[in-house]
Amino acid sequence: MDTEALVTDYLGRLDAAARSLPASRRAELAGEVRQHIEMALAEAGGRDEVTVRNVLDRLGPPDDIVDAERGADGPPPGWTISATTGPGTQSSGWGGNEIAAVLLLTLGSVFLPIVGPLLGLIFVWASQQWTNRQKTIASLIVLVVLFLPFILLLGARAGTTITQSVLIP
Amino acid sequence: MDVALPFLLIPLAGILAAIYLVVVLQRRKR
Repeated sequence: MDTEALVTDYLGRLDAAARSLPASRRAELAGEVRQHIEMALAEAGGRDEVTVRNVLDRLGPPDDIVDAERGADGPPPGWTISATTGPGTQSSGWGGNEIAAVLLLTLGSVFLPIVGPLLGLIFVWASQQWTNRQKTIASLIVLVVLFLPFILLLGARAGTTITQSVLIP
Repeated sequence: MDVALPFLLIPLAGILAAIYLVVVLQRRKR
C-alpha cells in the first residue's frame, strides 16, 4: 500500500472522528497531526510502509486524539513533539490575545466596569490557547458573578414591594 | 449597603475568571 495513502487514510479517519469539533479547530488539529507524522518519519529516517504504520500506531486511534482534544487540558499521552512544532504555534502560551484578555478581566473590571470584563471575554474566545471548555467556564464565572447580585437585588426589591403592599394596602 | 454589593462584585467577576485562565495556562506550560 502507498505510504501516503496510509497517512491520508489516517487523517481522513481523524477528520471523521473530529466532526464534533469546530471547523477551525478540526483543520488545526489535522495540520498538527500531519506535522507530527512528518517529524516522526523524518526522525525514523525512512518512509517505508512498516515505518509509517509504526508511526501511526504510536499516535494511537484518531478517536483517542479527538477525545483528548475535546477533554482537553493538553495533547494526548505519547504526543511529545508539541514543543517543537515551530514558531507561532502553541508553545509559549502567552500572546497578545491572552495578555489583553487577562488585563481586561482584571484591570478592565476595575476601570471599565461591566464593559471591561465583557471585552476581556471577546479576547478569551479569540485566543487559541484555551479550549472551548475552559473558555465556557471563564465566561460562566464572569456572567454569573456579574449578574447574580443584580438578580438577587431585584428579587429582594420585589420581595420588599410585595411585603409593603401586603402590610400597607 | 445592599445597593453597593453588586458594584463590589463587578470587579470580582473578571478577576476570578482571569485567575482561572492564568492557572490553566500556567499548568499546561509545566
